[in-house]
Amino acid sequence: MSAQHNRAWLLVLPAAAVMGFVAVLPLLTVLNYSFHDIFTLESRYWIGLEWYEEIITSSRFWASLGRSALFSAIVLSIQVPLGIAVALLLRGTRHPTLYLMALALPLVVPWNMIPGMWLSLVSPSGLLGTPLAAVGFDYKFTALHTWALIVTMDTWHWLGLVVILSYAGLSAIPQPYYRAAEIDGASRAAIFRHIELPKIAGALAIVLLLRFVDSFMIYTEAFRINAGGPQGATTFLSLDLGEEINGFSYGSAAARAMTYFLIVITVVWAFVQVTRRREASA
Amino acid sequence: MSRAPRMLALAALLLFIALPLVQTVVLSFTATLPLDGVEPGQFTLLNYANIFQSPALVASIGNSFLYVSLNVALCLAAGLPAAYAFSRYRFTGDKHLLFAMLAFRVTPPVVLSLPIFILFSKLGLVNSPVGIALVHCVFNLPVAIWILESFISAVPHEFDETAFLDGQSLPGFFFSKLIPAIAPGIGVAAFFCFIFSWVEVVFARILTGTGGKPITMAINALFSFRTDIGLVMAMTVVSLLPGVLMIVFVRRHIARGFVIRT
Repeated sequence: MSAQHNRAWLLVLPAAAVMGFVAVLPLLTVLNYSFHDIFTLESRYWIGLEWYEEIITSSRFWASLGRSALFSAIVLSIQVPLGIAVALLLRGTRHPTLYLMALALPLVVPWNMIPGMWLSLVSPSGLLGTPLAAVGFDYKFTALHTWALIVTMDTWHWLGLVVILSYAGLSAIPQPYYRAAEIDGASRAAIFRHIELPKIAGALAIVLLLRFVDSFMIYTEAFRINAGGPQGATTFLSLDLGEEINGFSYGSAAARAMTYFLIVITVVWAFVQVTRRREASA
Repeated sequence: MSRAPRMLALAALLLFIALPLVQTVVLSFTATLPLDGVEPGQFTLLNYANIFQSPALVASIGNSFLYVSLNVALCLAAGLPAAYAFSRYRFTGDKHLLFAMLAFRVTPPVVLSLPIFILFSKLGLVNSPVGIALVHCVFNLPVAIWILESFISAVPHEFDETAFLDGQSLPGFFFSKLIPAIAPGIGVAAFFCFIFSWVEVVFARILTGTGGKPITMAINALFSFRTDIGLVMAMTVVSLLPGVLMIVFVRRHIARGFVIRT
């Protein structure tokens, strides 16, 4: 229905210029660095794919990848069902907006403040640490405790996103759908499966994309809890990369960054394919 | 679900959300180190008073507001014409542009942080609010374009055509007709750009190594051998206020902040 109109490019030009400068140009720079051995930025040597070879043959990379994948799997399997359940629960309340506002609060906390808040909470004198100590549980920085704390903290941080988008999807279902289901005597499970789930599928796809990428590349929050420890037990992909940047091994860091970018791009591409196919069949 | 279990579940949910926030507020009103005449553990307002005794902390509030406002202005100025183009026209490469924007919207900042730092160092954009305002466009410009586009698409085409038939130029139409018509959308886009820029820390950290520190980095700098946690928490509470205010303003549109176009 819209006209084919290449003068529209003039309107897009300012945005494209900004994105070119702050996103495309740095990306090309990383790509270039990733093929070089860099001592200083002035003295660098072309080494082709050597960094990539080193990364994909290193057990350290696969271990971090495994930890990040496991973290994403845990986070998604907790937050998505829980978020949908809360959204369904809110449908029947009198002031859903108030609950949604409360759930949005963690989304507006600066990311590097969140670990501090949770560490204070579980510390022996904290609001959560005190009752936990009373029942004989003591938060220690063991691998299991660190993982549990990061997963809980991440759920606190992002549950609101899942609920808000699911709730928006549910709100778009016309009331007659429910009435028809009632007349047919459909069970609660059938209503969810055949009416609600298809209607929130679009919103859920966005939730899955955003939550996957953000959890897979979790950095600031995880780092501040235990700096990737104990003994690397919470060293996720981004923490590895951050370490290399801080260690000034630019070539290797660039190859690592490109590898992560390729993973993200693949996920985005799959998301776009699925979304376009669904829109075409709708 | 019947009434009682539902209320119980919602109460548990609110408790979960509130706990870390309550902890933060409680600590911000507690003396965690011996302060002037106040024993550790006691109620005090000194943490908040101490914020204003520290020039670094006061300056950081100004720095944060400066680059976040610059970013919002930049995203709206570049985003509005682009959003109009995506809403009204199809053009060569539009799908590829949308894909690129989606890719950069979700690219983790840590991936781009190294070249951004090197590039911006050469251009003298480190330790300056302009640098952070620019780099936050990586994720905020797509968000602004998508939000504005959804509001523009809700305006019928006839609205534009009538204006053009009256002989109005495109810029004239933007300022006198379109912007007033989608004013709520501009507000929503501005709020989301504001808050996403406000909470971001990876870019903000690498670009403010030695100066122009935002609130988040000023708080980081407070950590030392003998950290005044009370002061940290008071500053954290201050850093939360703009976000809380934003939630109140966009409460009917919160879902739009996470819109994605393919």
